[in-house]
Parts: sequence; structure tokens; C-alpha cells
Amino acid sequence: MLTFETRLDKIRETKIKQTEEKIKRFGRTLDNDDKGIISPPEDFKFTPKSNHENGGFYGAKVCGDNFRELLECHPIYIDPMSSLAGGWMTMLGYYRNNPWKPEFSFTHLSEEIKKYNLVTGIGANHHFCADLTIGLKLGWKGILEKIQYYREKNDASHGEFYDALETIVLGIQNITKRHANEAKKLAELEEDPEIKRSLERMFEVNNSLVNEPPKTFYEACQWLAWFIILGDMYNGCSDAIGPIDQYLKPFYDRDKKAGILREDEAIFHLACLLVKNNSYYQIGGADKDGKDMTNEISFFMLEAAHRLKIPTSICVRVHDRLNPELLHLAVQYLFQDKKGTPNFLGDKATTQGFMNNGYSRELAVTRYKCGCHWCAIPGREYTLNDCVKINFVAVFQVALGEMMKDASVIPSYEELWHRFEKHLKRAVEVIAEAIDFHLEHMHEVFPELVADLFCHGTIEKGLDATNGGVEFYNMCVDGSGLAIVADSFAAIEQRIVREKRLSWKELMMHLDNDYKGAEYIRLMLRNIPRYGSGGSLADENAKLIINIFNKLVKEKRTPNGFNMIPGIFSWANTIPMGEAVGATPNGRHAYAPISHGANPDPGFKESGVLTSMAAAVASVQCNYGNAVPIQLEVDPILGKDNGGIENMEAFIKTYCNDMGGTLMNLNILDKKQILEAHKDPSKYPDLIVRVTGFSAYFAALSEKFRQLVVDRIIEG
Amino acid sequence: MKGLVFDIQRCSVHDGPGIRTTVFFKGCNLRCLWCHNPESVNPFPELQKYPDKCIGCGQCIKACKYEAVGNRQKCINCVECAEACFSRARILAGKYMELEEVLEIAERDKSFYMESKGGVTFSGGEPLLQKDFLREILKESKHGGLHTAVDTAGNVPWESIEEILPYTDLFLYDLKVMDESKHKEATGVSNKRILKNLKELGNRTTEIIIRIPVIPGINNSLKNMEETLDFIKDLKSIKSVELLPFHKLGESKYESLGIEYPAKDFRLLEKGEIEKLGIVFSGLHL
Repeated sequence: MLTFETRLDKIRETKIKQTEEKIKRFGRTLDNDDKGIISPPEDFKFTPKSNHENGGFYGAKVCGDNFRELLECHPIYIDPMSSLAGGWMTMLGYYRNNPWKPEFSFTHLSEEIKKYNLVTGIGANHHFCADLTIGLKLGWKGILEKIQYYREKNDASHGEFYDALETIVLGIQNITKRHANEAKKLAELEEDPEIKRSLERMFEVNNSLVNEPPKTFYEACQWLAWFIILGDMYNGCSDAIGPIDQYLKPFYDRDKKAGILREDEAIFHLACLLVKNNSYYQIGGADKDGKDMTNEISFFMLEAAHRLKIPTSICVRVHDRLNPELLHLAVQYLFQDKKGTPNFLGDKATTQGFMNNGYSRELAVTRYKCGCHWCAIPGREYTLNDCVKINFVAVFQVALGEMMKDASVIPSYEELWHRFEKHLKRAVEVIAEAIDFHLEHMHEVFPELVADLFCHGTIEKGLDATNGGVEFYNMCVDGSGLAIVADSFAAIEQRIVREKRLSWKELMMHLDNDYKGAEYIRLMLRNIPRYGSGGSLADENAKLIINIFNKLVKEKRTPNGFNMIPGIFSWANTIPMGEAVGATPNGRHAYAPISHGANPDPGFKESGVLTSMAAAVASVQCNYGNAVPIQLEVDPILGKDNGGIENMEAFIKTYCNDMGGTLMNLNILDKKQILEAHKDPSKYPDLIVRVTGFSAYFAALSEKFRQLVVDRIIEG
Repeated sequence: MKGLVFDIQRCSVHDGPGIRTTVFFKGCNLRCLWCHNPESVNPFPELQKYPDKCIGCGQCIKACKYEAVGNRQKCINCVECAEACFSRARILAGKYMELEEVLEIAERDKSFYMESKGGVTFSGGEPLLQKDFLREILKESKHGGLHTAVDTAGNVPWESIEEILPYTDLFLYDLKVMDESKHKEATGVSNKRILKNLKELGNRTTEIIIRIPVIPGINNSLKNMEETLDFIKDLKSIKSVELLPFHKLGESKYESLGIEYPAKDFRLLEKGEIEKLGIVFSGLHL
């Protein structure tokens, strides 16, 4: 007889098969969130309608029409082992071959974007958070009525926007209906009584959700599954979920009171939800009075991920009064499952940090963890989190090159800092202009139609979230390559200025030659007390870089008056950003990846890496609410020893509660296994690693990316 | 005041309770055949060589005044070559450090100690061979609110132990072999003083964790464990007994020091062997 456990085993097997199929079709290049995408049938075809001579499609009307079209032709997907219908196979965003409307030219910024290797966020989408309570309360019909109500209230100039919203809701209702009918058909054919009943319930639930808002826990999970699938099919906006334990608590309480939901069934539905996409969920955290928000669903989420054992992204929001049992279970499963989940957000530093922008605590506590390294206020805040980056290494390179070419100055350490700050200032200004440019035009390019359905103000005002539809605009500005620059400054100070082992000219020659024939020089520059070693010049430099960066980002708003929030970026751009810059004075070779997040450069220390890194990263927090994450690779043996789990709990609590840490990602990885898997990934199809803010199947990563993970583990 | 230290390991979780920083003193008066820290033995800084890391830059030859590169006999351990070697093919084992410098590093992780009930451990080598430095740094550590532990083999005059008692919260006391002649064979010294000191220490109030490295062919017999139990069972300050399985992770260090690894032919423990021996201590009233 099939149990929830055996059904989950089969769901996992299917998931691994689907991943292998994706690798076969697209190669080992899935250097991103796994996202739960399923390969479409070979004969699946979709051609979006274009409204531009370049073949692209721009603006609310055509985006809405195209999405409706995609919804209509998207294959039906039902895994009879799952309780939740649907699965996504393609995204409208993938068809944006000409993503930016050429009439909106930003060539005036291009040169400096290239010069500083900036990722401006122009044309980037989602990376803020919808408020799902809106959808859970209204259901699709309710949302349709809301659109119709506000269409009447606003003038005709908003008509296209409302048309687009309306057309996609109709498409959503239709795809839900198609799945309900398919579930019914499958139920009729099914012989196993357990699965037959499950498919019948799937039909009932989906049939009801076409119009009605969810009433039960099961229906709420199915509704959330649809949000995830539809968000992914549009532009990926459903990566951001946020406080799932708060969203589902009322449904759970109601069902429990009515005696219609057992705990293992609730956990099973949540596991089925987790398969749809490894979206970002927060559990735990404190309310405005500091009271812990942990509830049954918080535990169920950990349990669901534990039973499922696929890549998931659950974050425990750690604070002084967090339920100790939740933290204990989180750490226990982290070590037991070795899937890189959950990770841990420091409530104190993120909440207080956001308040440093001038916001109240009441508001700050509603800014939930809902992205790989970021938080957002669901439905009320537009952020472009994760999409805007400054490559500190490129800025450093410009400063060094300019100083050495300037015949009017004698090269010096102080002069280099001065020029670094000058160019970082300009890089921040270019970013600010680019943010304004994006906010000015994005609604005419690719509006956030799906997320707009779940915001406070978008439907009411008839405006896209990128165009004034929401209340707060707190635009992310992340720095990258902190360790490289901190160490480079330190290497120059020690080897050139203090010890005079090398001249400035010789340094430039070695950098230009990528240290060819000068391995001794390279190692000399590399062997200095680096950022992370504690109390070193490089440690001080890292703090100074953050202080300068903070000052430049916070000293003024964008020209159009939008608030910017500094942070440090965590994600995969370490490879392309490295490819954009030459050799650096810290002994890094040209085009090698830049350092990861706020982490010290691998190999910075031979032992005691964990607390050293924690102390280093805690000291470079930006303190405005956006994360400066730490990524730690931990030997599984640490959790096995007597008291190991408790020590790790203490480590996390200290970092989050006492040291001002914002985000901690942990990988529990066996060195030997990861080396074997790197050699032959196909031998380990189910090995999961936390790459950074997200977890992924190791086998699905490209070789370069796998190498990054391996380097971090081997070199510490 | 300076002490000779060969390593300071932060985030140590194997040398006492909680998250700790372990300070390894250099110099030991035992010569245990299985020692996994051979660089801890000599009471002076010395050179370790890792030829596979050598890039052939020749800087070590330039730095050496004694033409000792490639000729170990001529080497006086001045370690100039290690300072010139950036590929870390030559590294220095042991450094004279100021008390304040060691303490500053030990205090860096204070917030982790507080939450995990950890602290600082002084290990070796034999830390009590630098008793004045040890006493002072223990005193300062206590003054700074740190939990202190001393990992000792106990082969020192009782007075040395007595001197540090007021500043030590926990002893990690190593017991190798109960049979005296076997102890001599395996460590180069008698265990008489070690056991006498333990007897004395066991009746004081400072907590003790007994640590037994379990070495096949040396002390992995039930008899040895039973004799150990018999000796410690009435000592009131013993908190627990830890059995540490033999491993060969230190082998490459012997090579780096140019000395033969005495435990080369020792076998590793079989699965379950430690657990079986551990049963002896399960009835110990702690």
C-alpha cells in the first residue's frame, strides 16, 4: 500500500530523472536555482506575438496576451504521486530574445557600465515579493472582481494594464480548470484506490480553485503551487514566497479544529509544494514586539524538506527568542541530510538595519527573507534585489591603472585609495542613474503582471510595480569581490610600501603579464595576512571598503529620489565578474573568479576557519537591512561528535544574535565525496550542494561552477 | 613574557566542551610512538619541508647563510629559509609569542565561547613545561572571563600543576598505558609521576576529563582499560573518560621534519573496537 513516505520516494525519483533529462538536453549548465522546471515535450512549440520590428514584445498588452497564449498551450502536468497538480516547463521570459526596447536607449551609460563591470538591473525582472495573503483571501475570481472594480475607478489611460491583468487571470483560471479535468480523467482510469482517491481530491480542489479562494490547508497549498508555477511561467517572480508559516497557519488551525487534517498529511502537501520550485521560504522570526513567530508550520516545513531530500531553500530567521527546538531541528536536519538547507537569517541585524533607512520596527519586521540572499516586504516594496552589482575589483583595476598612467603623481598607497573611492563614487552614480532609467521604462518593456496581482496598490492605482504601483522603493546595490580588493590593498602596502620588495612599476608589469614567469612574486603577494585572518591590515581594508561603499550609496538618493540599500552580493556572478578583470595584486590570476560574497578568499587560513570567517564577515556588514552573507563549508564530522549539533546551534546563535550577522549559508560536505563527484558527476545524481543562497544538484552544475565549490572546500 | 607556541587553533571542538581556541605549546618530555604532532616535541622553532610545494625559485638557497639547503646536517634551524619561502614548501614550526598576542587571539571568539560554554584550551606538546608562561596566560584568561582547560600528560613536578590550579577550570589529563614498563616502551618515560599527580589532582575540585589515545598493540586491551578504571574510579573530580582512536594523519609531518614515523606499521582500529573498550567505563560513577 502506498503511504505518504513511499509516494515521496517516488516523487523524488521522478525529480532526479527530470534533472538527468534536463542535463541530457541542455548540458551541465544549470548554474542557477534548480527551480523545479520540467523539460517540455520535444514537440512543444510556442511563438510569442511580436509588436516590434526587432521581433521583441514590449508593454503590458502584448505581454499579457503572450502569457495568456502560453498558459493556453502549456502542457498539462500531473504526477499522480503528488497531491498538487501542475508543473512548469517554460517561461515567457525565455522568449525575450530582445529583452530591452531599443527606443529606450541607455548608450550614455554604456561606457561606464563596461568600465566598472556594472550589473545595472536595467531590464531585470521580479526580485521583489508578492503578498500571497491577497490571493489566498480573494482567489482568482476575487482578483478578477478587484481588477474590474478598480478599472471603473481609474481613467482609461490604465486600460491596457487592466486588460493585461484580466487576460492573464482568465488564462490562469483556464489552466487550473484544464488540470482539474485531467485529474478527474486520471482518477477514472486509476486502479490503485489510494491514488484514485487522491486524484479525485485533486480534481475537487482544483475545480473549486478556478473561482473560489482556498478554504482548507490542502487548497491553500494547491493555490500556492499554482502561484509558484504561474510566476515561474511568466518571469520567475514566484521564487519569492516569504513567511510560509504565517501564510498557512490560519488554514492549518481551521482544519485542525474541524478535525480534517492530520500532521503527516500537512507535511506531505508541503513536500509536494516544495517540488514545484525551490522557492525561498522563511520560517520563524520575531514580530514587532520581539515575540517568536514559530508555529507548527515552521516545523512541518523542515520536516517536509527532510522527508523529500531535494534542493530546497528554507531559511530560519534567528532571533533571541526563537523556539530552541526549531533551531535544534534545523541544525540536526542540516547535518543529517547534507542538502545545504536550511540557512539562517540574523533577525536583529536585518530588522535594525532596515530601520536605519528611517523605517519603523513595525514595518521592518514585515520584511521577510524571500530570495537567495535578500528580504522584501511582500506586496509593498519594489527592490530589484540581487540584480544590481558593482564589481569592486573592476573599480580597483581602473583606479590602479589610472594612477600608474598619471605622470603628474607619484604612485602611493594613499593615492590609490583616493582614486578607488573616486571611481567607486562614480560607479554608484552610474548605478543610481541606471536604476532611475529602469524604473522609468520597465513597465513599457516587461511589466510585472503576475506579481502585480498580489501587491497593495498596483491594481488599486492601475500601475505596474515598477512604475509607482507599490508603496516603497528600496533599490538594492550590491558590491562584489570584497576580499580580492581588501587583500590587494594589503599586499601593496606590505610588499611595496613597507618591505619595498617590489616597485609599483614591477607590480604593473607582473599584472600585465598575469605573473608569467613570476610565480615567486605572485606567491609573495598572496602570502600576506589576508582578510579573514583577524586583526590584519587586509581585515581593516575590508571594513574600510564597506564604510566607503556605505557612505557613497547612502549619502544621496538616485536623481529621481529613490532610496538605495547597500549589500554584498552572494551569487554566481563570481565567474563572469572574474572574467571581466585582469590579474590583481593579491596574487589572483587574470580572469579567475572573484571572491564569493563577503567571504575571505579561499585558503586565507589553515585552521579554525569557521569562527575566523564569522568574525570577519560580521565586521563588514552594511547595516541597512540587506544581507552581507557568509558561506561556510562544514565537515560533517562536526555534527557527529558529542555536542556537535549543540555547538553548531551556539555558533549560529552567536553569529546572528550577538555579532550582527545577516545571513549564513552552510554546506555540510564530505571532502572525499565532493572530489569524486567533481571527477564524475553522473555517479552522484542526488548529491546536493548549497552553491550560495540557493541549493542545486551538484551534477547539474558546469565544471567551472563545480570547481568553485571544490575550491572552497579544499582551501577553506 | 613570551612562550613557544606552534599553533593556535580557533573553532576547536575536540579539546574540551563547547567551541574553543586551543593554543598548542611546543616542547614535550614524552616520546609517544604514535604522536600525531611531531613538530610539538622539540622545545625550539624548527623547519618543516614540503618538497611537493616547491616552485624551484631558489630563494631558500639565497637566504641560507649555512649552505644547509639540501644538507640537513648543516641546518641550525635558524629558519631564514622558511621566511623567504612563499610557496610554503618550507615552514616554521614554532614561534615565540608574547602573552598578550596569544591572549588577543584567544579572546577573538569570546562570544562563541559564551553561547557554547566553551573557552580556551592550552595543549601541546606539554604546556606545563612552560609553566610560568602557562600560569600567567591562564591567570589573564580567567581575568578576561574565559573558561580555561589544560591538556597535559602530567609528567611534571606536582608543584607545577599546583601553581596553575587556581586558574584552571578543567584538566584534559592524558593516560596512555597503566603498565609501567609498557608505558616506558611506548612513551620513553615511566608513568609513576603521571599517576601520582593524577591521584593528587583527582582529589581537588578542578574537573578532569581523562583522555586515552587508543593505540593498537600498545594499550587497546580490556586489561589496560580495566586497570585504568581501577585507578581512576575513586577520584572525585573526574568528569568523564574519552577514548581517542589512533590515526595516521600526522605521518606527513614526520616526513617534513626528516624523521622516521615510528607508528608506520601500526594498524588502525577495527570498527567497533573503541565502543567495546568504552564499555569498561560505562559503569563509572561520574
